[in-house]
Parts: sequence; structure tokens; C-alpha cells
Amino acid sequence: MKLRTFKGGIHPPDNKQWTSHKAIEDCPLPDELVVPLSQHIGAPSVVCVEVGQHVAKGQEVGSAKGFVSVPVHASTSGEVVAIESRPHPFGASLPAVVIKPDGEDSWSYNLQFTDPGSLTSDEVIEKVRQAGVVGMGGAAFPAHVKMSPPPEKPIRTLLFNGVECEPYLTSDHRMMLEESERVLQGIALLQYVYGAERVVIGVEANKPDAIALLKEQCAGASIEILPLEVKYPQGAEKQLIVAATGREVPSGGLPMDVGAAVHNVSTAAAVTDAVMLGRPLIERVCTVTGPAIKEPKNLRVRIGMPLSHLVEVCGGLVEEPGKIILGGPMMGFTQVGFDTPVIRGSSGLLLLREEDVAKSPEGPCIRCARCVQACPMNLLPTTIAAYARRDLVAETEEYCAMDCIECGSCSYVCPARIPLVQSIRYGKAALLAKKRNALL
Amino acid sequence: MTAAIALGIAAKKFAVEVDPRELAAMEVLPGVNCGACGFPGCAGYAKALVAGKIEPNLCPPGGAELVTKLARILGVEAVVMARQTAVVLCQGDNRKAQLRFRYLGLEDCNAAQRIAGGSKACPGGCIGLASCLRACPFDAIEITADGLAVINRERCTGCRKCVAVCPRNVIRMTPYESSIHVMCNSHDKGAAVRKYCQVGCIGCHICNKTVPDAYKVEDFLATVVYERDAEAVEAIVKCPTRCIRDFNEGYPEGSTFLPLKNDKSDAA
Amino acid sequence: MSDLLVILVSAIFVNNFVLARFLGICPFLGVSKKVETALGMGMAVTFVMTVATVVTWFVQYFILIPFGIEYLQTIAFILVIASLVQLVEMVIQKVSPVLYQSLGIFLPLITTNCAVLGLAVLNIQKDYTFLEGIVFAIGAALGFTLALVLFAGLRERLELCTVPQSFRGTAIALVTAGLLSLAFMGFAGLVKG
Repeated sequence: MKLRTFKGGIHPPDNKQWTSHKAIEDCPLPDELVVPLSQHIGAPSVVCVEVGQHVAKGQEVGSAKGFVSVPVHASTSGEVVAIESRPHPFGASLPAVVIKPDGEDSWSYNLQFTDPGSLTSDEVIEKVRQAGVVGMGGAAFPAHVKMSPPPEKPIRTLLFNGVECEPYLTSDHRMMLEESERVLQGIALLQYVYGAERVVIGVEANKPDAIALLKEQCAGASIEILPLEVKYPQGAEKQLIVAATGREVPSGGLPMDVGAAVHNVSTAAAVTDAVMLGRPLIERVCTVTGPAIKEPKNLRVRIGMPLSHLVEVCGGLVEEPGKIILGGPMMGFTQVGFDTPVIRGSSGLLLLREEDVAKSPEGPCIRCARCVQACPMNLLPTTIAAYARRDLVAETEEYCAMDCIECGSCSYVCPARIPLVQSIRYGKAALLAKKRNALL
Repeated sequence: MTAAIALGIAAKKFAVEVDPRELAAMEVLPGVNCGACGFPGCAGYAKALVAGKIEPNLCPPGGAELVTKLARILGVEAVVMARQTAVVLCQGDNRKAQLRFRYLGLEDCNAAQRIAGGSKACPGGCIGLASCLRACPFDAIEITADGLAVINRERCTGCRKCVAVCPRNVIRMTPYESSIHVMCNSHDKGAAVRKYCQVGCIGCHICNKTVPDAYKVEDFLATVVYERDAEAVEAIVKCPTRCIRDFNEGYPEGSTFLPLKNDKSDAA
Repeated sequence: MSDLLVILVSAIFVNNFVLARFLGICPFLGVSKKVETALGMGMAVTFVMTVATVVTWFVQYFILIPFGIEYLQTIAFILVIASLVQLVEMVIQKVSPVLYQSLGIFLPLITTNCAVLGLAVLNIQKDYTFLEGIVFAIGAALGFTLALVLFAGLRERLELCTVPQSFRGTAIALVTAGLLSLAFMGFAGLVKG
């Protein structure tokens, strides 16, 4: 039976064999946790504790600023030793709350079990917001904002992303296998809020065990388990919508414009914790993998754990890494060192050896159009990149640069090794700057 | 005959008034369309000159000569602005300054700056990927073999395009007459600067103590007080990191430019 | 009717003024950097060519032949075309200063442009009637515009290419023009003669 998919895309080797069979392990607490105030799309949180204050596990240390923002919480109990700028995974140094764990790991309040049936839709959304739930697939968009679409855009199809198309990463896979109950409970809660006609969990065909398990557990419920062709970036929300519903999100639009909403399966599990147990989002599963780490693992880590600690827990390095990536190899953030912390969207830590890093110099574009064939958004990466590099901003807009999802498929296939995504990003930044200046 | 008459009539009917002074101004302007005057190209400046009370000394590439010519055309008095030249206030090339990581991407300073603030450990130093070189319409900038941008003081016309494009703001406009500069752009404390650069300013105040009027130190970075440029020369040998340079003696290491007194090639 | 259609198609494609007859190369290379300016130039040329045909036709058959001074054809035609273009230039400067700026020096170049003179002379040579002459002029102008716009589109794309140092600028433009001519040779045989 032919599996559903989208046009374009690439087939990088999936390299999931390092960790796909390994059960999730708990990561012990480090000596210091650095909780950044900006871990999500939207306004950074505003700090609401002081140096020297004792905080409990799950206590709010930064409050949300505005609607598109979430609070951040202490990942364990301990003392706030500093509130200062610390290296952040995005490259700059940003304000963070530094906590020294006291070893007690005690929650801030007695966690009450709440029967979800007793809550209204708005109360569910508020609990999700208070818990700081953001998209766990990597984008870290505040979930409560997504759950509040305007009334003129009803959601008819609710999609769950169990695709995990990034090579090397297996955290969502293990979540579906080991914590399917939490995931399905979260799906039920979200369906309660959205009231969609159709609920689908998309899973790539390279995870047959997860597909089988979910099908078994959903037998009888009106949840569709949709196996999808193994292709990158099937897990990107617009591509998932195309594969599952056949509808394309219009240029410059959002999934709600075609009546769809997409959430990651781990986000669904986090929603369960937030609503039913009152627990904020302070931990996640992170796949530590790659040829340069001694013992690749799927670790359950707390937000704020330094990457050096994760490396230690996984047996240390095989050799000096050529590249340290927080996330997957396609869209992850390259890190300058190991002193940055894990944040809410960190789905993986990838350590590559020197020999795994591509270093070929850039060649001229020969218009082979491989990038055009690979682009999942039907754009012309070579043209946009060429205009961006010549600072011709108006032309980049004409060629829909803003629709680029920066998936990296074009850079991956380019035989001339042209840094296409970097050029397009540069063009998008110039375009946004021009628009901002025009408004001033 | 008929055609000639017809043309004559048409010429009168469809005439568009063009001030002859504007045409004269267009002739003397350099025609480079660099925009330093703030108008859209030389045509724009010519139009503005003739239209209003715009000064005739807004064109840096034209220099003092142009100002005199324009003043004559417009029938106004000429006031010549002091010549300015751009300087890259950094000597930290790849051998003298440390890199935090290896950058493998677009060879452009603005693109590199967006990747975790650029690969140079020093937050103010020259990145060396030639964005300024490409922006300069007068070929006055070169990048040394070790990745440092250097600007030729004679060829620079002061159009400021390099200043605009540099993401580190390490290029400054300085008076042409002043040849001594503190070649550093980092406001970090001395200990930090020492760690990542051999020739950075550590804010030790020695220059300031030697010649108090010629140097001022703010936020751990010294700058020459250009009005007192003549006295500043004393402190050059006293500087412990050798970060003060007199361009009359020579350009930074690795540069192919020669100071005016040694330069026999450029007969400009 | 079909005769007129044949003349039209022949003038636009088969015997394209720029790419097959190689007339009017100057504005072809000079104004073809952007598609908008190329289109503007094409329209100006259409106007000049059509009006020029009308006037020269009258001049030939009502002044030159009756007075037996066919040998003054070249001078007379040039005079007519020159004054016509001056007129067009003045009108454009008044009506659309933007177009005037972007066409710049190329407006007067339509005057010394062999394409317009060639058109006038060819009309006479081929013994076209008044109507045939007009259709021929329109076809020629359309063909000129087509070649110009196509070439402008190609040059806009060339802007993005990494051209070898020795080919940059006019050299690669000329090579491209040659290739475009070759392509148009494919139309040969579409129309007899």
C-alpha cells in the first residue's frame, strides 16, 4: 500500500539505530542548573525570584510577559545562586536563573490530581499556559496560544506529530513506545479543547513498533494512526498537513487557515502532566547520540542541565568533537562549547567527529535544480539565495523567501555545497528589517 | 523645411524647463552615484543644489576642488569641510587574535556576525570577510592574507559606505590630518582582552598618563583626541600591547599599502 | 487577409528585425537590462515605426516619385524619422519623466537606429501597399519588442550567474544574443520567402 507523503524532500540516512532500541533513562542532577528566561517563541519571561531565595521544584522563576509568552519554572528544588547572562544555545549570552540543587528534589506544592472532565476548555488552556507547555518538537511555540485560534478559523483536523523525521533523534519514538498512555491522554485533552472532526497521529514507517502499539491502544477510539513515507521533512507541520489532509497551507499563512492544528506527541504528554497533575514543564526526553559520544542514550533530562553534564552521564567523549549540535543535524543549533543548558525545545544532543563534518569549499551554481526538486515548500532556493547574497531584498520577497521553513533539504542536496539555507536566512532577516524600518 | 518648422513649434510647446546650472553641476560632479551626499545619485544632488539652500560641500569624493567649482556655478561662497578618511580600528588578524570556533559558511561579515556573534573571540574586532571591500566604490580597501581589513588613506574619499556595511562598527571616520590611531574596538576589561588578542587595548592608561591631553580612556578603551594628534606620538612606544599606530610610518602588518612618504607608485 | 497574416508572422518571427536581420542592435544591447525598461522602449519603437511608415510612404508616393527625385529617398526618410523621434522624445519627457530617465540616451538612438530606416526602405523595396506597409511596421515593431523583452529576461537571469571573469558584462550578453538568434532560426521555413 502506497504511503501518504508530500512533494519534494530528501532521504538522509536515518542513523537512529544508535538509540531507537534504548529505553529512556533518568539523568541524575548536576551541580548547577541554568534556566534561561527565553526558551520559547514570544516575549522572554520576566524574572520573579531573587538571588539567595530558596525555590521548590516546579516553582515559577520567571513570569510570562504578554499573551505569546509562558512562565519558566525551577527544574528542581534548591537555591537561586545568580541571575545573570549565561551562554544560551542560540549563540548569544542571555539572562538566566542559576539554581544550585539541594538534592531534595521536592515539588512546590502537593500535586492534586484533577479530573479533566470537571474542567472547561478555557480552564484546560489556562493550566497549559501556567505549566509553560511549549512545542516540544523543537520550535517551542507556546501551546496555549496554538490552542486558542480565533473563532472564525475552526480546527477540523487535529494532527499529532509522531514523525520525528530528523536523523539520529529517537526521543518521540521512545515516548510513544514507553509512555503511550500519557500521550493518548494528552491527545484526548487536546481533542476536548479543539473539538475537531478528525484526530490523526502521523508516524513514519520506520517506527513499525510504535505504529503497532498505538493502533492497538487506539482500537475503538476515533483516533487514526497514519503511517507515512519515510522522508525528511515529513515532521514539519505544513508537510504533515499536506500528507494527512491533502490541503496546502497558503503562502504566508498558518495551519489554522486550512482548519488544521499540529502538536508534537511529547507536547501532548506534557499537556497531560500540566492539566491532570498540575506539573509544569521542567523535564523532557533528549537523545544524546552521535559517533563522538561513548554511550548514546535517550535521557530524561531537566531543563537547565548543562550539556557538559549530559556528556558525562553518557560516558564522555570518544574524541574531541568536530561539531556539537543541540537538536537534529538538519535544523539543530550548533553550539560553541558545552557550557550551554538544555532548554524546552532541545530534542537531542548530537556529537559529530571531525571527519563527519562537511568542509568542502563552495562552488558555482550550475542550475542543476536539485534544490528545487528537494524543496518541500515548492520554492526556488537557488534564486532566493542568489538574490539574498546580492542584497536584492525586493526580489527575495517576490520569490516567497518568507515561506521558507529552513529545513535544510536544499543545502543537503546541493552538489556545489552552496550554503543555501544561510543565504536564505540572511535574505529573510534583511526583508524583516526592511519591513520594520518601513513601519517606523 | 516643413519638418524643421514643425519641430520648432513642437519644441516650444513641449519645452521642459531645465536649469542650465543643473547641467553644469552634473558635469563637474564625480558621477559615481555613491549617495554620500544623502541624495539619490549625482543627478539628485545637482537638482537639490540648484533648487534650494543645500551646501555645495556635501560631496566627499569630489573634494575641495569640487566645492570651489560648484560654488562658482551656483554663485555662492565655498566653505570646504575638512577631509576625512576611514580607518579600521583593529589589528587583530587571525594570527594575533583568537577564534572561538571555526566558521564554515557564507563569506560575508554580516552573515558571519549572525552566527553566534561571529567567530572572533573579540566582540569588536574585524571579522575580515571583506564586506567593506565589496562595498567600497573606490577600491580603497584590502584584506590581508591573515584576514584583516585595511583602508588606504589616500584612496579613501570619505563616502562612508564601508562604515554603513560593517556589522562590528570597527570602521571609523577620522580627520585625514590625524595619522595616529588606537587600533582597537573592544570595551572588554584588560584581562579578557589579553586572553583573546595580542594587540588589543587593555585600558591600562599608560598612554593617557604619558600625554594626558592627547588620549582619553573610556570603558577600558583608549582613543586619540584628534585635535591633539601632534602630541600623541610620544605614547606610541610606551603602549604595552603596541596597539597605537602612526599611519605615516606604515600600515598594519600584512598590508600592501605604503605610507605617503614611501609611496612612489601612486602619482595621485 | 492571409497575406497580411503572413507578413505579420514573417516580420515578428521568421525575419525578426533584431535577430534575423541584425538591425537595431544598439538599443537591443543598451536597453535590455531590465524587463520594464525593455517593454517601455519597445512601445516607443512601435509608435515611431508605425508613424514613420505612414509618413515615409506618403513622402515616397506623393513627393519623391511625382517629382522624380527618388534619389533623395535616404535623406528625406532620415529627416522625417529624425523629426518624428524628437517629437516622441519631447512628448515622453513631458508625459512620463520616469520613462524618460530610464531610457536616457537611447531615445535619440532610435533616430540613428537602422531598424527604423531599414523598415521604411524595405517597405518601398517590397512594393507594399499602404495597408501592407502598416502591418509590416507593426509586425517589425512587435518582433523588436519581443526580442528585446526576451533578451532582458535572459539578462536579468544572467545577473545571478557566476560568469567567468573574461566574459563578464557585454561579452556574455553578446554570446547570449547570438544563441537567441540561433534559436529564432528555428522559425525559418514557417513562411515561404
